[in-house]
Amino acid sequence: MEVISTHNLVKQYGSTHAADNISIHVNKGEIYGFLGLNGAGKTTLIRMLLAMIQPDKGDIFLFGQKLDKKFQRWNEIGYLVETPHAYPDLTVLDNLRVFYKFRNLNKPNLIDEIISKLKLEKYRNSRAKVLSLGNQQRLGLAKALMHQPALLILDEPINGLDPEGIVEVRELLQELTQNGSTVLLSSHILGEISKVATRIGIIHEGRLIRELNTEELFSQLHKKLIIRTRNNNEAINYLYDAGYSAIKTADNSIEIKDPDAIQFPEKISRFLVEKDLPPVQLSTFTEDLEMYFLRTIQTSKSQIS
Amino acid sequence: MNVLYAELIKLKNANIVWLSFIAFGLAPVMGAVFILIMRDPDALANAGALSLKIEAMGIKPDWNAYLGILTQAIGVGGVLVFGFVASWIFGREYTDGTVKDLLSLPSSRSSILNAKFIIYIFWCVGLCISNLLTGLILGYFLQFPSLNMTETLNHLAIYFNTAFLTIIIGTPIAFFALRGKGYMGALGFVALTLVIAQIIGASGYGSFFPWAVPGLYSGISQEYKASLNAFSYGIVFLTGLIGYIATIFYWRYADQQ
Repeated sequence: MEVISTHNLVKQYGSTHAADNISIHVNKGEIYGFLGLNGAGKTTLIRMLLAMIQPDKGDIFLFGQKLDKKFQRWNEIGYLVETPHAYPDLTVLDNLRVFYKFRNLNKPNLIDEIISKLKLEKYRNSRAKVLSLGNQQRLGLAKALMHQPALLILDEPINGLDPEGIVEVRELLQELTQNGSTVLLSSHILGEISKVATRIGIIHEGRLIRELNTEELFSQLHKKLIIRTRNNNEAINYLYDAGYSAIKTADNSIEIKDPDAIQFPEKISRFLVEKDLPPVQLSTFTEDLEMYFLRTIQTSKSQIS
Repeated sequence: MNVLYAELIKLKNANIVWLSFIAFGLAPVMGAVFILIMRDPDALANAGALSLKIEAMGIKPDWNAYLGILTQAIGVGGVLVFGFVASWIFGREYTDGTVKDLLSLPSSRSSILNAKFIIYIFWCVGLCISNLLTGLILGYFLQFPSLNMTETLNHLAIYFNTAFLTIIIGTPIAFFALRGKGYMGALGFVALTLVIAQIIGASGYGSFFPWAVPGLYSGISQEYKASLNAFSYGIVFLTGLIGYIATIFYWRYADQQ
């Protein structure tokens, strides 16, 4: 079942395309991660999903129901958009009570449960303005999660959290999806998104330029073999004659991208030893997510131009 | 009711509530000080510019004059203080950064705004009652000659009618607080209306300017009060209605960045 479905969403501010024909489909139980540079259109899309801004064109369906003025299923949605803010003079408890009332909830223990879950007991009666950035983030998440939503929309949910908090949020999101909830989140921390998301969408200049699941992502990361010998020029010649596309890099190393070499580096090592050029260094290098992300954007730019 | 209760929780620990009562409460205190000075010829002689002001205002040490001061404080000072209250109630969500938390909830945006308008009305009515009670207590100690029932009811009617008119013309401030995304735009609007009301009121055309009408009605100038007519009250109600509708429509239909 599709929990989120958008069809050719367009939102334009002057000549800037904040959303350019974005169509996404998020199924029940998925954690869909959004990657994009600042200003790529992530927050615009999230705000459109929350009916804070209206698309110029296109439709949004949440739980199969069209998002319009008649949409009523807001209690099935929890959200955190950009920096979390709270009423500074209210305590953590009162901040949660405000949203308990706004959400017309009728289970008083929900507040205590979420305070406990987000480890905010110690700050229960502290005013929001004295909380650290990390605890403000926890309070923001508590507001988003208090009513046990079926869909959670989070914009940069781990900003300001310490490593322990990041792990807790990751576990919380995984627990939610195990219970049947669906999560859509954006983050600029690519490593974190790859750990938690089941599917990833890359958005750039308002366009969804790549959509892939976590396995596809890791299979698409560029890998190469880096080698150094006592005589790299001679080694390159031998490798080239043997059918490997070896090249010399700027830092005087040898780089091979052939899948066979990457999968069986011991074959290369044995080959060079036989040629009396034993490697002094041989390592497999895997492109990190940042590089993959930037490469994807670059490819998209060159395709457009 | 839940939405109203949520809005009430938000007032907890808000110093602005007590500050508004203290600031508005200066009016009956200052009025009492005026009257005390008037009663003491030595103090009046030493009061300098203040004595001239007292003479110009024609204040007499009785209930009529004192209740008149309290009413005028609402008709003129209320435009400022009630405007400040409206700016805070509607602008705080932007200043506190909490506005985005209010836009995608089962409680409709209109219901949240209506709860805010109810808080605004009760807050302003509270300020009026507080000033009246303070004035009655101070008047008791000043030992004014008693008023008869008809005069008392007449004063109370003018007092609360002035409050009613002043509260009504506060609704556009809510719109400017939302449109300006915070207190500043709304406070600028309040300051502008206050200045223009003074200028237009003094030039004799106050009956055509909604923000001058409460002041004129309060009796700040008997000469100009007579110029108020159905049109004057009509534009006050129309301004209030337009302010309310614009506020609701803006939050319901405009993009919220």
